[in-house]
Amino acid sequence: MTFSIRFKLASLLAVFGILISGLTGYYAYNSSRSMLLQAAERDLLTATQVLGRSLQASLAGASQDVRLLASLAPSRQLDAPSPASQEAEDGLAATFTSLLKIHPEYLQIRLIGRTEHGRERVRVERDGQQLLRVRGRQLQEKAHFPYVFEALSLQPSQVRLSPIVINHEHGTHSAQDKPSLIISGPTIGPASSAGHALIVLNIDLNRLFQQLKADLPAHYQVYLSNEAGDILIHPDASLTFGFDRGQRILLQSYFDSLASLLDGSRSSLVSTHHNPHAERELISAFVRLPLDDDAGKRQVILGLSQPAELITRDIGLLGWAIAKLVAILSLLSLLLSALAARALTRPLQEMMQAIQRFSKERSFSPLPLQRRDELGELARSFQAMQEEIVEHLNQLNQSRNALDHLAQHDPLTGLPNRRMFFERLQQAISSAKRTQQPLALLFIDLDYFKEINDRHGHARGDEVLKAVARLLRSATREVDTVARLGGDEFVILFNVLEESQDIQRIVCKLHERFQTSLRIDGQELNIRASIGVSCYPQDGDSAERLIQHADRAMYAAKRDGRNTFAFHADSAQGE
Amino acid sequence: MLPLPISGLLRRLLCLLPCCLASQPLLAEETLRILTWPGYADSDLVQEFAERYGVKVDVSLVSNDDNLREQLSRNQGGNYDVFAANTAEIQHYIEAQLVQPLQAGDIPNTRRQLWRFRNLQSIPGITQGAATYAIPYTYAEMGLIYDRQQFSSPPDSLASLWDPRYQGRVLAYDGSSHNYSITRLLLGGAPFQIADQDFAAVNAKLIELRRNVLTFYNLPEESVSLFRNHKIALLYANYGRQQLKLLQDAGADVGYVIPKEGALAWLDCWAISRGAKNPHLAQQWINFTLEPRISRELTRRQGLANTLEAPAQSSNQDQIVWLEPVEDAARRAHLWARIRSGDSLPALDTP
Repeated sequence: MTFSIRFKLASLLAVFGILISGLTGYYAYNSSRSMLLQAAERDLLTATQVLGRSLQASLAGASQDVRLLASLAPSRQLDAPSPASQEAEDGLAATFTSLLKIHPEYLQIRLIGRTEHGRERVRVERDGQQLLRVRGRQLQEKAHFPYVFEALSLQPSQVRLSPIVINHEHGTHSAQDKPSLIISGPTIGPASSAGHALIVLNIDLNRLFQQLKADLPAHYQVYLSNEAGDILIHPDASLTFGFDRGQRILLQSYFDSLASLLDGSRSSLVSTHHNPHAERELISAFVRLPLDDDAGKRQVILGLSQPAELITRDIGLLGWAIAKLVAILSLLSLLLSALAARALTRPLQEMMQAIQRFSKERSFSPLPLQRRDELGELARSFQAMQEEIVEHLNQLNQSRNALDHLAQHDPLTGLPNRRMFFERLQQAISSAKRTQQPLALLFIDLDYFKEINDRHGHARGDEVLKAVARLLRSATREVDTVARLGGDEFVILFNVLEESQDIQRIVCKLHERFQTSLRIDGQELNIRASIGVSCYPQDGDSAERLIQHADRAMYAAKRDGRNTFAFHADSAQGE
Repeated sequence: MLPLPISGLLRRLLCLLPCCLASQPLLAEETLRILTWPGYADSDLVQEFAERYGVKVDVSLVSNDDNLREQLSRNQGGNYDVFAANTAEIQHYIEAQLVQPLQAGDIPNTRRQLWRFRNLQSIPGITQGAATYAIPYTYAEMGLIYDRQQFSSPPDSLASLWDPRYQGRVLAYDGSSHNYSITRLLLGGAPFQIADQDFAAVNAKLIELRRNVLTFYNLPEESVSLFRNHKIALLYANYGRQQLKLLQDAGADVGYVIPKEGALAWLDCWAISRGAKNPHLAQQWINFTLEPRISRELTRRQGLANTLEAPAQSSNQDQIVWLEPVEDAARRAHLWARIRSGDSLPALDTP
């Protein structure tokens, strides 16, 4: 039972311990997981914003280049075909070439005139590794392209950014069929002038992004779409420029959360999601980015993504570490619970053993009395109870002994009464039967006791009876039993007799004692007695018969004139 | 031949329709398998047909001509009973022996069609010898859309596209084949057959067109925004009346004409595949689509012209020129790419 309490207590404590460490572990894991994810998302968003700013800065730089070139192309000198204009064109071509050398992402720089249906005046472009100046018949009319007809109406120093499309202009060498963005701006000078022209710069989108993403971790993937969501850059190149093939392939159909970015309600967003098109879960960040510095009409959606598994792998490791910690803590709590349960139940167990010992043996065992807690109090209460019980038991024993004594003794003389005498007699008979030893029973009746009572009063009579009792006691051995049967009748059992003749001697001696007077309350009284004797085994082998025969012998003695003694054997012969 | 039968916008909308429809008639022993374009066999109408004839109808949709060819060539046309294709494609199927001849007389509702759709021999591509292989169902012509504010009287000729009075306010379509065809129409020759020696003249004319237009558009939506932002006076409506509707919906006060030189038009027809299991049921389907109510639904829902009624605001209706395969599509495409890029005649002559 103690084991059960200890087991229950230990289990309960262990369950609490494991529960607490488990919950702590779980919450630690959860919050760390979300922290890791948030950190990854934040990093990704920051990287996207940085990439976006780099893109804006690159395009702003390119726009500046266009403005610079526009200011270098004085319209007056380009007015009419002349040696001066030829020289100016050559100068511009040289500048275009230097600029193309510095910027590998620039594909083509042109000066396009307003006249002759937007005929190209100066055109330098990339052809593989080398730069090429296109001349003569190869120069084309471009007035029907939006980058021309829309830019012509711009104010000086304004520039126009084209939508990002695949360049299908024939004969443009490296620029042909490449995703490109065209920046165009008018030259400085009166718009009415025949020399009024445009600087047009073609930028290789892929080359530009190659440069921009050089600093990004390799597992980051870049996405770019136009304002409507048409994919321009995607890890899966087959999804880019769908509109160029008569399809619309939209970024928002791969990232549903993009809707809020496209409708302009947000400027950036981060999401972790599993889209049905991608095999893996992706963490992605997107920003809406205005590309031109003034009008803000040309915008793109720029995004970065990274596989979530890189983060979840870290999270997995973290979870594993936490799980191990939880397991260790659980084991520890199991151990501590067992120890705590043992420490708590040991005093209880000791007390219980003490109680068991007390109830079995009435013996006191050491108790944790000095403890100041509930257990100490319990021990003290138990101690008090033990003491009380012992005291009560003692009282009970005393009263029982007194009752026993009362039941077996004559209250006046303190001698055993008839009942006790009978018991002793029967015991003596049984033992004598075994040992073959003789017994003797004396029946003593005082002579003329009624007269003594009448003459001296009952009180004196009682004193007489007491004195006789003392006399009989003093005349017998310790092993013999003197009893008062009632009134003035006494009996003596002589338990162990060496031989039958001894009784003769003892009776004579006793008779002699009755011949001296007894001093009672300072008064000499002569008390005589008639004594009848029966012997075992001659005179009977039962208590009743022995008493009966002793009684008869006593009457025989009375008949003999009192103050004498008679043996049953003799008196029976006499009859 | 590369006409876009339905505008991109409409196509996208139609793609949202369920791709397959299976109706459950009382007696489902017979099945009609239809291969067609979005909008030609709407599920409610198919349901009606299925219930009326107590048959089961499977509709499969295609989104472009190549897809249609691929589907139909499988199992020698045995996978479908009836399909819809434009006249140029029908010609291909006749040559590939994937269609079977049919009798217009077995399809009573053909008698309700306008004369030019009943005169099957006059429609190139759908007959071979005396045999007829297809029944016209719907068409769209590519006319001119003009700004009523800028024209006192409607333009009636393709030549208006070249009119220097509208320089910088004209929109043309960025399509090689059609541009060569209309230029050739204007110059008065067979639009789909340009001989080697005739190309130079057409090229020169196209360069003139380039110098007169603001730009060339691709998508109908693009034409709408250009129209609104650049005060366009005239545009070549490659997407026909659907484009007109798009502009009108955008608030433009525009009119639509079919030029006197003629308008290119695609004509989609029903044809019965050679592997059809139930040609009679296929004929009943064709007959069903030519019921006035069903044909009008096509016009109402898709904005496409039906073959029973002449469209409103029609002039020069007889000048419709059904599209045919051109002599050399690749050559036209290559030349057009160079013209569009801004090459001039001397440059064009050099390879």
